[in-house]
Amino acid sequence: MSITRYGYRHAVSGFFEFPTENAKLLLPSHLEPVELHHGTSIFSLTAFEFTESIVGSYGELVASVIVVPLIRSGERFPKSAFYPYLVATTTREAREHAIERWHLPHFMEDVEMAFSLKQGEMTVKVAGGGSPIAEMAITEHAAAPVSHLYQCFMSNGSGSYLARITMEGEQSEHEDERGRLTLFDHPFHGNLDVEDVATAPFREMWMRDGQQLFDPLQRLGPA
Amino acid sequence: MEAARKKDAQGAPFTDYDYSSFYYGAGDDPLNILGPFAAWYQEAVPAGYYLYSEPLHSAPATRVRVENGKTGEVKDLLNLASYNYLGISYREEVKAAAIEAVKKYGLGASGSPILSGTFDIHRELAQAVADFKDKEAAILFPTGYSANVGFISALMRAGDHVLLDQYSHASIVDGAILAKSKTVFFRHNNPLDLERKLSKCPGKKLVVVEGVYSMDGDVCALPEIVEVAKRHGARVLIDEAHSTFLFGPNGRGVAEHFGLDHEVDFHLGTFSKSLGGQGGFVCGSRQLIDYLNGFSRSRFFSCNLSPILAAGILAGLRIAENEPQLRAQLWSNVAFLRRRFAEEGVDIGKSTSQVMPVLVNDDAKVFRVAEMIQERGLYLQPVTYPAVPKHKSRLRISVSAAHTEADLEQAVQVIAGVLRDEGVSCR
Repeated sequence: MSITRYGYRHAVSGFFEFPTENAKLLLPSHLEPVELHHGTSIFSLTAFEFTESIVGSYGELVASVIVVPLIRSGERFPKSAFYPYLVATTTREAREHAIERWHLPHFMEDVEMAFSLKQGEMTVKVAGGGSPIAEMAITEHAAAPVSHLYQCFMSNGSGSYLARITMEGEQSEHEDERGRLTLFDHPFHGNLDVEDVATAPFREMWMRDGQQLFDPLQRLGPA
Repeated sequence: MEAARKKDAQGAPFTDYDYSSFYYGAGDDPLNILGPFAAWYQEAVPAGYYLYSEPLHSAPATRVRVENGKTGEVKDLLNLASYNYLGISYREEVKAAAIEAVKKYGLGASGSPILSGTFDIHRELAQAVADFKDKEAAILFPTGYSANVGFISALMRAGDHVLLDQYSHASIVDGAILAKSKTVFFRHNNPLDLERKLSKCPGKKLVVVEGVYSMDGDVCALPEIVEVAKRHGARVLIDEAHSTFLFGPNGRGVAEHFGLDHEVDFHLGTFSKSLGGQGGFVCGSRQLIDYLNGFSRSRFFSCNLSPILAAGILAGLRIAENEPQLRAQLWSNVAFLRRRFAEEGVDIGKSTSQVMPVLVNDDAKVFRVAEMIQERGLYLQPVTYPAVPKHKSRLRISVSAAHTEADLEQAVQVIAGVLRDEGVSCR
């Protein structure tokens, strides 16, 4: 299988402190959370506005825990690693494609996503089944072109997997804590204790007009 | 910055990574992390990281001989990087006391403090510290790091709660980890967030704060924090590493400055900052000190502080006690520098102490700024992520009572000049 490409207009990420106890509830046993401080792990929420893919244009919300990367001799060193414990998409086609090809766990209903850009701030509102799921605002810093390698871990009943993902585009990243997050009471959040997730991101990342490149999936072992 | 655009051995710009990138790594061989780190490090050092650990060839006085990490050249520089806030470590009385001690005791303690490593000079120093801090007793630690690690892990246990300011020193965090307590971080210097966190913590609780925070130079909001802690039944430890011998009518620290010396439960300090020595201490009741003597593993499994250091520190402590004009001179210097930086538009953030960050706020530019400042005659250290948040990079100034106004004016001229030349925005 060759590299799979997804073109995006916006990919905004907020990184939030939350208790390691909660992180471990969301992770399979073979993955360890990265701790920002002792006892504090990192919850990340990324909203994509995909413009180009084999399943057309769509929106995607990815809820992840930042995890310890897998370091193997001779391989390019990843910038970081994450475990998407739940993904939501705006279309059924996108969802079925990601489940089939990437074994990504999905919220099995279409969601509505609205991106609104205003004075250096992107606000993303996500709702499902008529109820709000999340509202996140991410602010801008100086942007520069990047090509960053990430490790994405997946796990389901068929096994555990790793995909190397390269994110290319104009990136802005800062730790000014100007953004904000509201997580609403919604089935999407499942085992996440929303009360314990910080409401201000310690890091905000915004990528524009780029592409997300998936290397072929690697099977790491049984589920 | 040409070097910043260079790519490391694996094809990525080295600026994509930092020290935090190489902390975690799973796999089948612990050595796998060394290759990627080495590839990054060989690009990072010539690009500016060489500024760290440059050897000094003289005492850490206001003028210092520094060996350039890139060229090997040794140059005389105006020193604003060393702690030595009172200019004591190289005083003749201190050196004489250390020389007498080496003649009497030899080099080291040659034993744990609970076995054969306690000397008469250690007991004398501990009592002098207790008297200075107006406490019943004190216990010495070989380093400030071991003081925090040893104190917190001696007193707190699994199931307890240790509440830490998010900007806590690593020694405080490591103490909480070793205690196996549940660690809860509150927003920096934020009593409201502390209150929110404390309200969810049952059982034994310890709140740990610092008198002066070492990266921003801001002073702890102690009255509000103590009030919140007391209301929730939490004990309070203050680490006065950067404030003992400087703050308060008698120089006891920030707790004395706020009139809260007796409301704060535990007082910790170091000898490495204001006295320019080494080691740490905890002051309190005799019961507390006896307990720590038995349960501070970082202390009793270490060799005791060298008696040479103990003697020099004791001489330095006497100077700090007997020469309050040193504190007055320090605060006069701080006021002068603050005023001049304000006039020149140099941003020192929230600092209200002798620790002043010169905010560059540009991670790619801070090393170039530091290099230029050193080329123009100043010894200063850059501080970047992950020691501070991304794009909050800075140069950290330590003001000393030994600086003259001419020294400080020279520093202002060099720093403001370089910031302007490098296009760093000023307030």
